[in-house]
Amino acid sequence: MMEALNELAVSTAKKLGVDDAVALTSQGNERMVRFANNSLTVTKNMKETELFVYLGKDNRRIVAATSNPDESSIRAFVKKLFESLQSLPKGSDYASLPERARHYRPSQMSYDKKVEAVGTELSELAGEAIESARKNGGERSAGAVVASVGTSSILTSSGTSGHDRGASITLNIRSFSQDDASGHGLSCASRLSGFDPVEAGRRAGENAKKMVGAKEPEAGEYEVLMSPTVASNLVDLIGGFSSAFSVEAGISYLVDKLGKKVASESFSLSDHGRMDGALDGRVFDDEGLPTGTTPIITKGVLENYLHNLTTAKKAGKASTGNAGTISPHPWNLEVGRGDSSYDEMVKSMKRGVILTSNWYTRFKNYRTGEFSTVPRDGAYLVEDGRITQGLKGLRVSDSLERIFSSTRLISKNREWIEWWEVDTPTLCPWVLVDGVKITRAYE
Amino acid sequence: MKLEELKDLADYAINQARLAGASYAEARIHGATGNESLLKNGEPEPAVLVESFGIGVRVLAKGALGFSATNSLDRKSVKQLTIVTVKMAKSAGALLKKPLTFDASKPVKKKWKAEEKQRIEGGDVRWLGSLLREIDGRLTSEEVGVKLPGRFLTAGTTLEEKYFVNSDGARVESRVPRVHFFGILTGVENGETAQRMIQQGESGGLEVVERLDLVKRVEREAKTLGEVLRKATKPPEGTIDIVLSPELSGIAAHESVGHPQEADRILGREGAQAGESYLKRDSIGLKVGSAEANVSDDPTLLNSNGFSPVDDEGVEGKKRRLIQDGYIREFLQNRSTAAELDVTSNGASRSVAFNREPIIRMSNTFVEPGEYTFEELLKEVQLGVYFASFTEWNIDDKRLNQRYVGLEAYLVEGGELKGLVKAPVLEITTPKLWGSVKARSKRMEFEAATCGKGDPMQGIPVWTGGPDTLLSGIKLGSR
Repeated sequence: MMEALNELAVSTAKKLGVDDAVALTSQGNERMVRFANNSLTVTKNMKETELFVYLGKDNRRIVAATSNPDESSIRAFVKKLFESLQSLPKGSDYASLPERARHYRPSQMSYDKKVEAVGTELSELAGEAIESARKNGGERSAGAVVASVGTSSILTSSGTSGHDRGASITLNIRSFSQDDASGHGLSCASRLSGFDPVEAGRRAGENAKKMVGAKEPEAGEYEVLMSPTVASNLVDLIGGFSSAFSVEAGISYLVDKLGKKVASESFSLSDHGRMDGALDGRVFDDEGLPTGTTPIITKGVLENYLHNLTTAKKAGKASTGNAGTISPHPWNLEVGRGDSSYDEMVKSMKRGVILTSNWYTRFKNYRTGEFSTVPRDGAYLVEDGRITQGLKGLRVSDSLERIFSSTRLISKNREWIEWWEVDTPTLCPWVLVDGVKITRAYE
Repeated sequence: MKLEELKDLADYAINQARLAGASYAEARIHGATGNESLLKNGEPEPAVLVESFGIGVRVLAKGALGFSATNSLDRKSVKQLTIVTVKMAKSAGALLKKPLTFDASKPVKKKWKAEEKQRIEGGDVRWLGSLLREIDGRLTSEEVGVKLPGRFLTAGTTLEEKYFVNSDGARVESRVPRVHFFGILTGVENGETAQRMIQQGESGGLEVVERLDLVKRVEREAKTLGEVLRKATKPPEGTIDIVLSPELSGIAAHESVGHPQEADRILGREGAQAGESYLKRDSIGLKVGSAEANVSDDPTLLNSNGFSPVDDEGVEGKKRRLIQDGYIREFLQNRSTAAELDVTSNGASRSVAFNREPIIRMSNTFVEPGEYTFEELLKEVQLGVYFASFTEWNIDDKRLNQRYVGLEAYLVEGGELKGLVKAPVLEITTPKLWGSVKARSKRMEFEAATCGKGDPMQGIPVWTGGPDTLLSGIKLGSR
């Protein structure tokens, strides 16, 4: 069905005389069980099909998405799009699709049919997480278990075609103890066998218990040990800032930094279209180019921006296979493994703070990368290598470049993170940073 | 796709859900069509057209809530979907500690639409693109007085159409056209940069563009950015007075009054995502501010971005007095939180698309106006800072500890505005902020915003606004 929709859209576009056309149909099914106060709040089941169409002609470009791509309406939809295209002014950034046709087969990585089959078991998995949290000190828990599968199929006017599919299962659990002390746990996996709701519940429960009696810290500079959950929130933002589109628009602190040092030597970041264990991605991008691995920061040096055909042409580079036709974007981010253990990192801290979760990261200026973010759940004061106190009411106020340039240690262990505050699945370690500015409300 | 052609499907879904064993069922045909034009540093990016129609079905089965959605709009798909929705809800019953109930809100039968003088359908991508080029032309003119190497501008129109029915007898049809603008300007002067994000939007037809006066508005913002870069100096330290502009009053009202008074947060439903609240179920009547602290949420404001006079549970919306004279007066409610708290829903349940469940949302949240003119308000200040606009902001998930960093901000001395000050920081608790309100001006202004909540995430159009608000005795920081 997906191939037929693509064929109809591209053949209609070609008959109208476009220079370039792409049809990309995706079908997805997301099933979810949400809970709060240890009780079910809602079950969800969303099934959707979407057709995305790109047309280019005479240096004009237009994109469209329709969630109702039935065969009877596609011709009219593409014709309407073509009429709009002709009314647009010409741009100077036009990049043609490659003439060479490619044919893609689904990646064998990261697709677990067992995730597709999960249905009513979701509430049992949620129950396991809640019970684990309860046993470990989380008196009441809230969260969501989500099983997602999706298939994408592409056809371009140059004859490029193929399809790919993906699956993931994730749990986000937050537990509360006395006085609203809270802890957070995640389990994010591409295979059911790697999904561990009990461990996520344990972490949430333990942190909730440890946070009872938390106090507000003194404002000042601290060593900060960021959990994979916190570090991946910032890394996800770096991934977005590495998009050539953000750089061109001046909404990135990575403008004019190519080939320059933007992080400490211990920090490397890459993007993967496909990767074993990854929660997202495909073998082709939205322009039909192959996705692959793109080093973004290597040993602290900014090596590449993420490109689509248009941004690549302007930069005199090749596309990195990260289209989005309008804006290139990362698929799955990976922070390079370090050589420290968590215990070693904590022991190395003189006066520091451990952060296990955060939210609401906002920028003063994307061009400088100055931001603040609000830690939540488990946050702990470390003195002379020992955790001495739970902390609440704090805020990190710093800049991305300064933080990642002051990274001192990175852990060996890494975890896949994708949740409310991390859009791009990120394989991320613990990251220890020197001299991070912590503030708090004055009154 | 036409809404009219799909109405039967909603009624069909309700019947199927009841046959499958649901004690309550609702169905919402929800469509959105839109155009978007983008201009980056003067160059057109691909224009964007979007059309999305689908059906969302929500049921109560054995006290469990189930929601499903599809855009396969045929009877077979909808029947299958509805049966699965009921089955999933029932099968999760073991996880349910207490059956969910809905209040006895009067089911509304109504057809409503937002006021629209020039039909939104006329707003094609060429028209929007011309508007953006006109704005960009001003931004690159010498009169602006600042180099703006980063200029990202978007403008768009959307038409949201819904048909809602439920098994209690509600039947609501609506049409809300909207026009929106978003821009990020990056100014550079002597190696320093400053950025301004501008978001504007209203419900209405193409006449909204004229009302928003976008060309002049954006040009004025660009000129101010240059002034900030050239002239802003270190802000004063210590405890001073603060005057919040309508823009700042609005964001504070939204973040630290609207959100913590969403009853679903108070009852813990959003605990793992958007968080909970510093308020508890028995906080009605609690004093949280001075006698001058008055904050409301009103879905019935004409032309507003959050115009939603009937909500997505088929309940009539009305103005909600959130804080009155410093006391918590009312929470934002849907039918299930209202039943739990033994009150009646005030129609605050909204959904952004067919594939999202309705949840409690703000509409247009604002500080109520006072009696002062802006000049009279300034006269009350011996030493202070006037926050005209802001950049970075955030708040913790209980809505107690918030921060707003000023962009356009002025020193106030002896009751008069003086020079610009650089990046003053208001980092303050909610009781301190609302407890410090001393006076409010008469003028009311609103900003468009997109409020995020839910899982999956729902970004919903709202207004934030208010008058100028004087806070006395505030400790100011700087970045």
